[in-house]
Amino acid sequence: MSKQSTLSSWSIASRVLAALFGGYALAYAFAAFFSVYLPLPRPDRVAFAGMLSFAVWTAAAIYVFAARSALRAWSGVAGLSVVLCLAAFLPSELGVRP
Amino acid sequence: MSLRQSMAGLHTWGGLLPSWLLYVIILAGTIACFDKELERWMRPALHQGAASQMTADDVRDWLQRNVKDELHAFWMHPPTEREPYWRLGWEVHDSGEQRNIAFDPVGAEPMPETLGGDFFFRLHYTLHAGMPGVYIVGLAGMFMLVALVSGVIIHRRIFKDFFTLRPGANGQRAWLDAHNLFGVLGLPFHLVLAYTGVVIFMSNYMPAGLQLAYKGDVEHFFSEVMGAYHREEVGQPAPPAMSLNELVAESRRQWGGGEPGWVVVHHPADVAAVVDIRRFSTSRVGAPQETLTYDAASGELLHRQQPPAGYSTYNWLAGLHMAQFGGSLVRLLYLMLGLAGCALMVAGVKVWVAKREARGGAGIGLVRALNGALFVGLPLASLALLWGNRLIPLGMAERASAEAWLFVGAWSLLALWAVLGRRQPRRLLSQQLALGALLALGLPLLNGLTTAHGHLLASLARGDWALAGIDLFLLLAGLCAALAAWRLARPAPLAAPRGRRILVEETA
Repeated sequence: MSKQSTLSSWSIASRVLAALFGGYALAYAFAAFFSVYLPLPRPDRVAFAGMLSFAVWTAAAIYVFAARSALRAWSGVAGLSVVLCLAAFLPSELGVRP
Repeated sequence: MSLRQSMAGLHTWGGLLPSWLLYVIILAGTIACFDKELERWMRPALHQGAASQMTADDVRDWLQRNVKDELHAFWMHPPTEREPYWRLGWEVHDSGEQRNIAFDPVGAEPMPETLGGDFFFRLHYTLHAGMPGVYIVGLAGMFMLVALVSGVIIHRRIFKDFFTLRPGANGQRAWLDAHNLFGVLGLPFHLVLAYTGVVIFMSNYMPAGLQLAYKGDVEHFFSEVMGAYHREEVGQPAPPAMSLNELVAESRRQWGGGEPGWVVVHHPADVAAVVDIRRFSTSRVGAPQETLTYDAASGELLHRQQPPAGYSTYNWLAGLHMAQFGGSLVRLLYLMLGLAGCALMVAGVKVWVAKREARGGAGIGLVRALNGALFVGLPLASLALLWGNRLIPLGMAERASAEAWLFVGAWSLLALWAVLGRRQPRRLLSQQLALGALLALGLPLLNGLTTAHGHLLASLARGDWALAGIDLFLLLAGLCAALAAWRLARPAPLAAPRGRRILVEETA
């Protein structure tokens, strides 16, 4: 059925933090990325990216607890957040186009 | 560790910890489905349903006569079917202090203060804790979303269990059936309401777009995203203002007969003062976004709002949450599903307790005390608030504060009672329900003794179902509570233990 039946308390604490802060960071990065890159006028980019970001946070929280290890969970969430944020914040003139 | 097992752990603890907070939010929101009806119930001057003879200019005249501070803005709402009276609010320029009043339809003077149905609406989304409360509610909403999704993943027999209820089974299984029933029945509603609830405060919770695409310029962000108009103050005194009645009439013409729902005057003492008139309609899910903006002195039409697609979508989602469309039937449906949400929370915590009562575990006392203090304490304190509304003299200064203190005091006493009685939960619940029955059944009676036109005989004779509905609901709730209290007061039946297969949902 399973390799282990319970998680260590460190693993749980780490995942709780990853779900709360890592999940929010990923949702923020998602909203920032699509506020820049969606092929829509600026107010629509910002509105749609923001509205969808909460689904990303929810999915991240689920993933963090489903992942095989806490380290995997953290690296997935943090890695994707960093990539999205870099892509969003580097080309500043693209983001403020009308 | 399988996916279902890890999700079971997440659902158990991620669901248990915020469940009391979520219960407060959901119950307050459920009551707020009928906040305007409750507001009318709590203001005896509105019971007869007299039509107000005031106009927008009368309301502004009252403000100019009675408030001497320089105002940042003031706003007013004309009478509607559910709120047949003028409301006025203003924000003082220097202190940022906000005040709201409601005008008696007869006599055109402010009505005695009350917390009104608005109290529950604000409890729902701020917990009466200002912006920190809004953030706490948002986080609770995210917990609810995660609990819903993880609940679906662990719920193997989602269709079959919908038709399963075994009230005669042992405690844990019976409560799990109830939890599944309310969860599955209300799942689309709870998912949509949790998601739209979080989205409403999107610009606070998720400011990425504002910070990145608008460089943190809040005014620019809101005016562009909403398609709204904004004119800065210039610091010179305003010329005499134009009649608001004429602007309201002009707006009706512009909308081809549409009704105004909100009149806002921004920085009225400044030469750059503008009047926003927002349209009111209950025939669409999202409130209409066709605000007209006029120059306050000349009456020139400066702007007609044309919201972009993104904001229209947002507005539709927010409208889905606020349930201001479609009339009483929609609100009744929201009320029932909201109560199902409360039952979902209660049954979920009961599963947790029942399992640990059977096998032993830490924290049972704390959970029982919280159950008594929140699950029963909040409805009882709300009933106490309605008692206070009828018993606190109308002429009393700071009347709304007195009501608030009564609510807080009653809730604190109920919480203390729950803590002291936690070792005998069945007896505690029975006594609490008996008190609840007394409070609920007594209210229609008290209403009859203290109001001339608000009691059931009068409201039913007028065919005033909005007002009568509240008394009838209280009677029904009181009878249910009395029945439950009476059944709980009898000794508990002993359930015969049986061998059975353990589901993964139950191992959590």
